[in-house]
Amino acid sequence: MRWAGSGPARKGFTVATEHSTASRSGFLRLGLAGAGTLSLGAVLASGAPRAEAASPSPALDVQVLNYALLLEELQVAFYAAALDRGKLRGELRDFARVVVEHEREHVGLLRGALGAKARKVPRFSFGAAVSNPRRFAATALELEDLGVAAYNGQAANLTRGALIAAARIVSVDARHAAWIRAIENRPPSPQATDPAKTRRKVLAEVDRTGFVR
Amino acid sequence: MDTHLEQFDRDGALRETEAALPAETRRDLLLGALAGGTALALFASEPASSATKGDVAILNYALVLEYLQSSFYTEAERRKALRTATAKQTARVLGSVERAHVAALEQALGSAAVKRPFFDFRGTTENEDAFIRTGVAFEDLGAAAYKGQAYRIQSKALLQAAISIHSVEARHAAWIRYLAGTTPASSAFDEPKTMAQVNRLVASTGFIVRRPTTRSRRRPRFTG
Repeated sequence: MRWAGSGPARKGFTVATEHSTASRSGFLRLGLAGAGTLSLGAVLASGAPRAEAASPSPALDVQVLNYALLLEELQVAFYAAALDRGKLRGELRDFARVVVEHEREHVGLLRGALGAKARKVPRFSFGAAVSNPRRFAATALELEDLGVAAYNGQAANLTRGALIAAARIVSVDARHAAWIRAIENRPPSPQATDPAKTRRKVLAEVDRTGFVR
Repeated sequence: MDTHLEQFDRDGALRETEAALPAETRRDLLLGALAGGTALALFASEPASSATKGDVAILNYALVLEYLQSSFYTEAERRKALRTATAKQTARVLGSVERAHVAALEQALGSAAVKRPFFDFRGTTENEDAFIRTGVAFEDLGAAAYKGQAYRIQSKALLQAAISIHSVEARHAAWIRYLAGTTPASSAFDEPKTMAQVNRLVASTGFIVRRPTTRSRRRPRFTG
């Protein structure tokens, strides 16, 4: 994996290529560390949270970064669709225009790092969340907060190089979250530390949005 | 405003921003949301006694930065020289979070915690414009500092804690930038700063002093 940034560590490594699939279930069936795979159905059916304690490894990086890629692609698609609809005005539009470009660059970094191991993106459908400015703002806030919690939840699972890259991304997502929160008159950091959510929890929340077709 | 603070201004955005703060207040923002209930238990599972020397050094480095931030906002709030709702709210809200970070780090480090330095903020806690600019600089710096250390932390528990503070610093940076009328996120990627870079910047401010100071631009307030 190659890192676009100039970090203290740029470890190259190879892993077995994972089979790409464009289907939603395929994308979301991200292997949990050392524990087989996790389908979205299993996410929803299972009650007990599973500890995500695994040793960082290049193979685990691939899983985590593909998971991050899904979230970033979701954000890109969301902002692009909202701008395309043309219903945003004023600072919401300014926000979307700036943020969509950042998310595209995040996708670019992740795809560059994953290379052929990047999974295909599912199709998204956003409904009123991209045509109604109020719904847009609420959704943007939710997606950015979720992105921060998702990255924070994986920090300890990443190798050094991947952690450095993820840290360069997550604080920008945190800035986006605080930005939309400021626009919406909401507290920028509702807690003194940002929550770290497990992949299971994040994917369940993504599923609940109904955005992934 | 001290010119060396310009060094914090990584993208020049602040230099383009004049004192004009948003006219509207955002007074409902945050009220109550940050009350003391969010005491940080996140370091509790990893007492410093079991942490490596390197991790202790990193936590102490973070603690000094949190001391710097929390003292800055606390002093701004206490001196009551800030008049706009935006500035007062920034001091109150961010002060409470940074004090929580200090408490968490002190608790984690126990007897290994460094002592709180003395500070002289050189008027920046009493001048609206300087206060906001310094706040932005501190929060951008805080995020870059945590980012520069995260990958060096050996303990998973401490890494988790540090990374969860790291994104809060970035949120603060974006929030004050927004209130100051400058771009909250000026680039797709935030870059880390090394300990040496951060220490150099902090030293250049002259905010950390050897002795306690009572320096204030305002006349002393007598209550008797």
